Amino acid sequence: MIERGLESKNASKADLIQIRGQRRTITLCTILNGTVETFSHITLGGISARTLVEGKSWGFSSTNNSKKDDVECAVTNAVKLAKASARSEAKKIALEPAKLESVKLSAPCRKPVEKASLEDIKLVPIEAYRGASEASSKIASAKASFLSIHDQKWFVSSEGSRISQESTRVQLFVDIVAKDGETYCPSSESLGHTGGLELFDETSPTVLGKRAADKAIKLLTAKAPPSGNYRVVLHPTICATLLHEAIGHPLEADLAMEGGGFGNYVDKPVMSNLITIYDDGSVKGGLGFLPYDDEGVKSNHTILVEKGMLRSFMHDRTSAANMKAPPTGNAHAWDYSVEPLIRQTNIGIEPGNSTIEEMVEDIEEGLFIEGTFGGQADANADFTFGFQNAYWVRKGRMAEMTRGANLSGNAISVFKTIDAVSKDAVLRPGACGKGQFAIQGRIVPAIRCEITVGGTGGT
Amino acid sequence: MNFESNWAFLADSARRTLRRLGKMGAGQAEAYILATRTIETSIRNSTVLTESAIEDMGLSFRAATRDSRVGFACTNIVDNEQRIADTGEKALSVARLSAPVPGFALPDKQKATHVEGLFDKAVVMAGVEDAVDIARRLIESTEVVDNRVCARGGQVLLAYIRKGVVNSLGVDVETEETQAIGFVYGNGVNEGKPTPSCADGELLRSFSLEPEKIGQATGRMIIGLFDSKPIENFVGSVVFEPEAISYQLCDAILGAVKGEVVAAGGSPWADKTDQTVASADFTVYDDAILKGGFASRAFDDEGHPSQRTTLISKGQLKSFLHDATTANTLKTENTGNASRFAGGMEMTKMIIGNGYKAKPEVYPSNLVIQLGNKSKEKLISEVDRGLLVGSMAGFVQAGSGLISAQLGRAHYIQHGEIKHSVKGGMVSGVAFDWLRQISAIGNDAKQYFNSVVPSLRVEKVKVVGSN
Repeated sequence: MIERGLESKNASKADLIQIRGQRRTITLCTILNGTVETFSHITLGGISARTLVEGKSWGFSSTNNSKKDDVECAVTNAVKLAKASARSEAKKIALEPAKLESVKLSAPCRKPVEKASLEDIKLVPIEAYRGASEASSKIASAKASFLSIHDQKWFVSSEGSRISQESTRVQLFVDIVAKDGETYCPSSESLGHTGGLELFDETSPTVLGKRAADKAIKLLTAKAPPSGNYRVVLHPTICATLLHEAIGHPLEADLAMEGGGFGNYVDKPVMSNLITIYDDGSVKGGLGFLPYDDEGVKSNHTILVEKGMLRSFMHDRTSAANMKAPPTGNAHAWDYSVEPLIRQTNIGIEPGNSTIEEMVEDIEEGLFIEGTFGGQADANADFTFGFQNAYWVRKGRMAEMTRGANLSGNAISVFKTIDAVSKDAVLRPGACGKGQFAIQGRIVPAIRCEITVGGTGGT
Repeated sequence: MNFESNWAFLADSARRTLRRLGKMGAGQAEAYILATRTIETSIRNSTVLTESAIEDMGLSFRAATRDSRVGFACTNIVDNEQRIADTGEKALSVARLSAPVPGFALPDKQKATHVEGLFDKAVVMAGVEDAVDIARRLIESTEVVDNRVCARGGQVLLAYIRKGVVNSLGVDVETEETQAIGFVYGNGVNEGKPTPSCADGELLRSFSLEPEKIGQATGRMIIGLFDSKPIENFVGSVVFEPEAISYQLCDAILGAVKGEVVAAGGSPWADKTDQTVASADFTVYDDAILKGGFASRAFDDEGHPSQRTTLISKGQLKSFLHDATTANTLKTENTGNASRFAGGMEMTKMIIGNGYKAKPEVYPSNLVIQLGNKSKEKLISEVDRGLLVGSMAGFVQAGSGLISAQLGRAHYIQHGEIKHSVKGGMVSGVAFDWLRQISAIGNDAKQYFNSVVPSLRVEKVKVVGSN
């Protein structure tokens, strides 16, 4: 159906046409304090056309209607929009050539959500809730949400590519608030992958719920963390946020071209030589498993930083041409209705050779920091984000637990201070709100570094 | 079918589906319909990058069984009536698997409030050429301030919005609105060192964006950061400008006044009605009928008429925000604060999106902090040692009100004068304490998505230096 848009009467006015179609089904079931707070079934679909006109500007048009006339109308609109800007735009847009692809792909999935009954789906968050609520009478609020997203996507281009991709992504979120008197302590846990209900074979919903609850209970008697600069070990759960927000974003070519923190430092040292960073959309199971991007480019295992040396940025076809680099398959749109942007897929840090115990041993006074409450960073790699809890480390030993607070600083400076990386990297679920939403993966070890802690407590 | 006939088809199909759900055993049911036509122009690195036209139309159903089990389903694949009916039935089928929602209610039939200034035909008539022109003027006016300044990004968005609510209790309302948004962000590079990003923008209902005003304000903010220096730890007075107030402090207030949080016993203010929660000259209200307000509306997203609700008056807590269900649960008046555009950081909500894709929750319309009488200069001149904070990043912790935020655009104040901009650093504390420590309120309100707020000066704030 969407191929017909390539033959519409205005198609010849464009240098390049990319048409995307999508059908998405979302199931959400949230259990709040034992009862179903939300049970939602969402079906969405539509098409979009993106056109390059006179080699100078892009036009984009999307609609929830996807009949033949609607596809043609979208192409016509996109051409008109691109022309409006092309008239006064002097600079040409270069596009790195993309290999023509004709493929049909389905992401691996052993236990499809579609084959489960709604009753079975409801049991997932109910079990997580039970695991949490049975942990302690001090659990004031327990919320567990099961979410599955099934996508069918189609991409056709006037260059000849025809790509069809299908995937299911399953996630479980647990959010707990423990209360003792006037003291409230939140904690959260999450699981997620590209695949089906086999997600829960290794870690059951009950175990995840209990884990979140146990942490919140411990925090009730913990003190606030200190403020100031500390030598810390960042657990993979918080390292994932730091990597994505403060290192990953400045490695996206569009932000790098804004004069971001990594500037033009390709093949120059930018961080500790213990660090190798990559992005890989072909990691099976990762929430960023996206074999082809939304410009039809195959995802690569892209080495971004190799032993501390900046090697590449993440690119779409335009930025790749501007920087004279190969496209990396990082042009992704959250859904059919919006344009692709340069996004991370599964970003990772190669594991090192230290155990967590060895990383702690060398700290005279510092913190072991766990769990994320999300965060933000700018193109200069200045960041701030919340952690859920920490442990004091004194004379090489783990000591008492502290509550969460925010971390801040400049990630490039922080990554220069890394002097140990753990042996094991963990695949974590992640999300991003760069202009539009995205679900992504992170593959991260623990790291030891120096960082600013913004707590309200003392030593 | 065109936009107009699509809307009529959708609205009629929704009404028929509600009747069908009633025959199938639904106790109450509701359809929410949203249609948008948007023109967007994006800015990147001093150029107008892309022009977009996005058209979307979808609807959602909430269906409740007679014992108040509630289900939700939505779709934007609305080309045949059977699919619309199927969506309604899906809402009822998932409702049957749910547990009863205590106090679940939908609004009764009432006349929508007339709110002035929410629709401007000029926005509907504007074309992509207009959006491109505004975007170019945003870039030029930002960069003309100083040749070290670059407009890194931004957006011009012109939207036509039509929404309607129909329910089984007789509510059948619809409205048309327009939005005109223009913003630009940028940074500067001075002696090889980039500044943090600065942004300014306007959120309007009419086609009266002033790109030169926005761009020049952004440019001036950027050059104000060229002389940045680290600071030491100290406790002092902080003047928070409207942008900083609109995020963390408004989030703290919202977390305490949301009816759902109050009903669940999670609000630190749950039992503090008529008690002091803020300094004596601090007044806050939710104003859904503010003329031309960006979050003003004729009715909320359940179809209840809009109103103005005083939340805090002269430091004393007066009311909470409610939708039909929380009002019914707590046996109080519905304040018309059901929203399908609620902000926040909850992952499932961010994934699903807003509008017809979201079921309503309690959220402010325009959260308005009443203006004070001091200019920003006066607020600064009375500070012995402190900061002027234009923007900061970081979240407030729900319930506890804990804030630890990284300074973005900030300046160091000594003896009533701005000395230099601040490099790095954080402020930390408890938002509910800060509300009691407000010593002065500015006369400089600015509109954000869900707030209209002035500058506030807060005493005894802990500043974490970056030295």
